[in-house]
Amino acid sequence: MPPPRVELRAVSKTYHDEGQPVEVLHQVSLAAEAGIVTALLGRSGCGKTTLLNLAGAMDFPSSGEVLIDGRSTASLDDGELTALRRRRVGFVFQFFQLLPTLSVLENVELPLLLARAPKARETARDRLRWVGLEEKAASLPYQLSGGQMQRVAIARALVHSPDVLIADEPTGNLDTASGDQVLALIHESAVRFGATVLMATHSAEAAAIAGVRVHLRDGRIQSIERA
Amino acid sequence: MRLFGTLILRPLRRDLLRTALTILAVALGVAVIVAIDLAGDAATGSFRSSMQTLAGKTDLEIRANGGIDERWMAPLTALPFDLHFSPVMEAQGTIRDIGSVPVYGMDLLGQDGVVVSKALATRLNSAGPVTLNLDGRPQTFPIARTIDVANAEFLALDIAAAQQALSRYGKLDRIDVTVSAEENFARVEEAIRELLPPGYLIEKPGARSDENQRMLRAFRWNLRVLSYISLVVGAFLIYNTISVSIVRRRAEIGILRAMGASRVLILTLFLTEALLFGIAGAALGVALGRVLASGTVQLISGTVNALWATSRPTPIELTLPEWTVALLTGVAVALASAFAPACEAMRVAPTEAMSRGAHEHHGRLRWRRGLVWSGVLAALALAACQAAPLGGYPVGGYVSALLCVASAALAAPALVLAVNHATRAVVARRVESLLAGRSLVASLSRTSVVVGALATAIAMMASVGIMVGSFRETVALWLDVQLRADLYVAAAAPAGAGVHPALPPQVPAILAGIPGVEAIDLFHALEFRFRGERTTLGAGNLEIVRRHGRLRFLGGEDRDAILRSLPGQDRAVITEPFANKFSVRVGDRLAIPLGGLNVTLTIAGIYYDYSSSQGLLIVDRSTLLKYLPDQPVTNIAVYLPPGADSNAVQRQIQLRTAGLGVVTAPNRQLRALSMQVFDRTFSITWALEAVAILVAMLGAANSLLALVLDRRREMGLLRYLGASTAQIRGMILTEAAFLGLFAAILGVALGFALSLLLILVVNKQSFGWTIQFHPPWMLLGAALLLVWCVTVLAGLYPARVAARLNAIGLAVE
Repeated sequence: MPPPRVELRAVSKTYHDEGQPVEVLHQVSLAAEAGIVTALLGRSGCGKTTLLNLAGAMDFPSSGEVLIDGRSTASLDDGELTALRRRRVGFVFQFFQLLPTLSVLENVELPLLLARAPKARETARDRLRWVGLEEKAASLPYQLSGGQMQRVAIARALVHSPDVLIADEPTGNLDTASGDQVLALIHESAVRFGATVLMATHSAEAAAIAGVRVHLRDGRIQSIERA
Repeated sequence: MRLFGTLILRPLRRDLLRTALTILAVALGVAVIVAIDLAGDAATGSFRSSMQTLAGKTDLEIRANGGIDERWMAPLTALPFDLHFSPVMEAQGTIRDIGSVPVYGMDLLGQDGVVVSKALATRLNSAGPVTLNLDGRPQTFPIARTIDVANAEFLALDIAAAQQALSRYGKLDRIDVTVSAEENFARVEEAIRELLPPGYLIEKPGARSDENQRMLRAFRWNLRVLSYISLVVGAFLIYNTISVSIVRRRAEIGILRAMGASRVLILTLFLTEALLFGIAGAALGVALGRVLASGTVQLISGTVNALWATSRPTPIELTLPEWTVALLTGVAVALASAFAPACEAMRVAPTEAMSRGAHEHHGRLRWRRGLVWSGVLAALALAACQAAPLGGYPVGGYVSALLCVASAALAAPALVLAVNHATRAVVARRVESLLAGRSLVASLSRTSVVVGALATAIAMMASVGIMVGSFRETVALWLDVQLRADLYVAAAAPAGAGVHPALPPQVPAILAGIPGVEAIDLFHALEFRFRGERTTLGAGNLEIVRRHGRLRFLGGEDRDAILRSLPGQDRAVITEPFANKFSVRVGDRLAIPLGGLNVTLTIAGIYYDYSSSQGLLIVDRSTLLKYLPDQPVTNIAVYLPPGADSNAVQRQIQLRTAGLGVVTAPNRQLRALSMQVFDRTFSITWALEAVAILVAMLGAANSLLALVLDRRREMGLLRYLGASTAQIRGMILTEAAFLGLFAAILGVALGFALSLLLILVVNKQSFGWTIQFHPPWMLLGAALLLVWCVTVLAGLYPARVAARLNAIGLAVE
């Protein structure tokens, strides 16, 4: 069995709110494997987004450690973290977060441009084709529907073929049909591209595509179930 | 009030740096206005000499062009009224290690020695005789007594001693008349007028001071207008700050409206925010202005003394009315610039909680309308600049300049879009520039305001730069035409505007006898009164000027024919400023009071001249001596044959005139000195420009900071997508560079338009001279590059803030 690509070892995270410590995650240990969608389930405020930020190396634990391919994210400097996000991690957000001033194609291309990767335009077009929106390449985000925007966001998250896809409520803002399309793409990204997918969700449909379902409550893992 | 606290004060406190930058910008704008006003008042505040203070109350003053014959004292005192007449002479002398001091001649009842003011006596630090250079030679006087007159420094001699010391026997500068309270003042005045020759002037005390103030009107007015530039630039900044404030709180405004807040309440809230900026900025500005005034007073005073009249700077006084005016100015500008955005806030519909994107999208759609209005205002500007001066002020020119600025500001959105479109291929090559360019277009209305502010500052800099550069080049070319002699000789006494020290009478003969001298042109300059203004009457050997000089006449008239027509005739040539100031044309006949006579002179020609905005009237010296035979020579131009050694001749002159108090300057030295005076005159202009640029920089930094804070979510997202901190920084700096580029393009275009206004309208109407268009390309290029670099530097702090933003949560808000 290959080692987990993303691993959280006894991770706790505490924030300070007006001087008072607030523990958002408590002693969480979790391993997410390649090619599998791991769904994080739980009520709002249970720590799903914090866990995703830790797993995507956007944040660091107060105690414990987060390992990506066996390397602790806390040991990486700013340059290494940037390189990690450029090459290894992709993000999908609930509210799509497309840049309104860039065209659809430019939005998808953006991570490659930031990484100064070659053939950015061709790769971005490939990804757009994959999500079925090639004909919208020149459109601006406000000209798309919510479902289309989220598909563009997935194309953007996967444009650099990341090993880890972090998705925070990817269908939370979509109707059922659009949500299904998006979930199909997320599932395919794990199966086809072998990405390790960590997805926070409230939706039963989204949880249904997951190979592993992690139930969180008040910052603690309540249960882990495998499909 | 609670609403004001929540909606306005709390965000201001949260954004303390931006709040401070806006207040500082207003403060600088107000400070410059206060400084120029206070320094101007102090520098020109007292044309009343200490002699007038010393002499006490005077009811009338008698003057004459070329001096008063003292023999008129006897018939005056014989008039059957209870009057007191005081003969007066005024001159400047120099005391070693102390410098120039006023020397007065007055009726001291034949007292021997000199009366010294207490302030001067303290500086002399000795009770022994005082030696001063007067009338071109050192003269020693015992100190008779000291007198305390309001800290003034002067020396006073008995009138006879003064006439002797100044070699002006039988002449008086003025007679002061005191009329007894019992006398009928009108009858006294009439009697004196009837007694004296028609060329003598009888006026109320203070007329001269008023005259000086009138003479300086255009200078002070232009300086004052220039001082408002920073506040205009600051107005853009307030507009921007209030706009940002509204854009950010659009949703809150929508909710408030839905909950029953009236439109007037919303308008009042945002106008009160502007009022806060205005009050705080103006209060700080007044204090800052008072400090700046101290540094400015000498600059203004130097210019006034060099170009117009001798003034004695008075202490800087910040009075309650000045305080009030400054405060009201700051507040009015703040309210006026906030009015449009506040009205926009008032119009937010109750159900509306539009995002910035939608608001900005509408802004983008308005650029065509802006462009049309820009064209309309440009056409109005063109019409306004054709207007004749109003009460001597170039009001049309300034209205036109304001319209030009407004026109450029309205054209800014179209320009931003056009430049963005033109550079899109280049910009797309780097992700930082791609994002920067798109972001600026996305917040078009805000970008346009910053570009407008920066462009205004750049335009002011460019226009004044072009005007001063053109003026400088014109003056340099004119000096080349004007200064044709090899050497110039003048009295060593301190000269200034309206002060023409006489050369010792033996000097012309000495110079004429020096081997190698081909010709000498004896020149007489004297201040004279014409139509209530002071100007200069000059007389020289115009045949020599014709042979050696290259005077350029307006309309390309025949120089030789004009100059040949003057000797021995009652004909004169005048300078362009004289012609413009007094609306005189060739062929006009002017009645000029000379000595006791009113002489009618026919104007033979008008020539280009840049030595005095008050103008010059030139006659041949044969004409002058016909009416004022004792008028002393004040300057001599020495012409040498081609190839002559001017240094050797200069040494000869120095040798033969040693001890006579004469200075000799070669042609190049005089030119250099003239250019020095020119540069000093405009040094304050540059200082004002620098402040305007500084305010614009604050605006750029402030706006970039607002853009960064408003786009925190975007910055966070970019970090999630793999942007490095260097890339975020690069993006903001590129935005700053773009802002600088947009502003430079608009600013230079506007600057050229304004420079034409300054040269063809404002200067022409204020000072009366024709300036040839000579843009100082190198200087402009360097200044633009500097401003552009500083704009990029203004982006450094916002870039730092952007790079340090914590991405966590920003992207998922």
